[in-house]
Amino acid sequence: MNETTSMPFTAFWSWLETRPLAEHIGFTYWFPLLESIHVLAVGIVVGSIVMSDLRLLGFTALRYPPSRMNRELVRWTWFAFIVAVITGFGLFMTRAATYIENPAFQLKLLFLLLAGLNMAWFQYRTFPNLLIWERADITPVPAKIAGAVSLVLWIGIVFAGRWVGHII
Amino acid sequence: MKERVASALAESPLNELAVYLLGNVPGLPPIAQSIHILGIAAVMGSIVMVDLRFLGLAVPSQNITEMIRRLLPWTWWALPINLLTGLLFVVARPNRYFYNPVFSWKFSCLVPAVALAFIVFWVNRKRPGFWEASISTRLLGRLIAIISLLLWTGVVLAGRWIAYSDYLYFLYE
Repeated sequence: MNETTSMPFTAFWSWLETRPLAEHIGFTYWFPLLESIHVLAVGIVVGSIVMSDLRLLGFTALRYPPSRMNRELVRWTWFAFIVAVITGFGLFMTRAATYIENPAFQLKLLFLLLAGLNMAWFQYRTFPNLLIWERADITPVPAKIAGAVSLVLWIGIVFAGRWVGHII
Repeated sequence: MKERVASALAESPLNELAVYLLGNVPGLPPIAQSIHILGIAAVMGSIVMVDLRFLGLAVPSQNITEMIRRLLPWTWWALPINLLTGLLFVVARPNRYFYNPVFSWKFSCLVPAVALAFIVFWVNRKRPGFWEASISTRLLGRLIAIISLLLWTGVVLAGRWIAYSDYLYFLYE
């Protein structure tokens, strides 16, 4: 089926899934091991991001300035995100050519990209312009928008991610 | 006991309903599973963050008493939601779960994990500030946090392994 695909780098995805590591993961207990760690990491990523988002939206933890809250939480977000990417790549490489054509997987990548852009925009465009930022109990509109967009995208990432396994 | 619950469930009308819903509502299995994972995320963002705070590993500037009061309700919301989304699958295929040793492991971790979370929450409610009151209560909090983290990790890992218990062939020898 890979000959008829419209995806770029077809040869590369096929090459990737025939690596000894990919075959080892695909045919042994490594697959469920990586998958279970992936779920744990995703839980921490989404759990910590939801906490930051709800603060940006002005729903909870109003006694803490959002800047400090984000700074403290984002360490765990990044740590867990790196674990999720490594385990996720391990799962992906076992059937790379098939996953890359899976619409749920494509949607998940798109949402991840948008979530990253939203985060970067917030960090480098919105954030430096808000002098009131270090104060608690304040939730400017741009922060609310960033929080709402992030919340929706991450929920979408969880749904799309779980859907990947139901399409293959 | 286990056998009786499994066969009672298998013969109940609820089993028929769950099988029907999972087979006929478009997208229901992945939707229920995604909500289940979001419930896990809520647990990670609430009780697990409180545990990490106890150990000095996360959100150092947040107040422990306030954190427990603010976050544990998320745990209490997530658990029944995950009970419902999980039960859908258990009721539809009780034998698959009740005769699965990994499913038992999950609950052997879950029950004490919930009990510890409740202790942290309840003590904090009856005696606000207890977990920061003295060196001994702080040490107790850290001990509880380590056990709680291990148990929640076990819940999530075992939860995912239920579907892969065949790999653990030694369990069936």
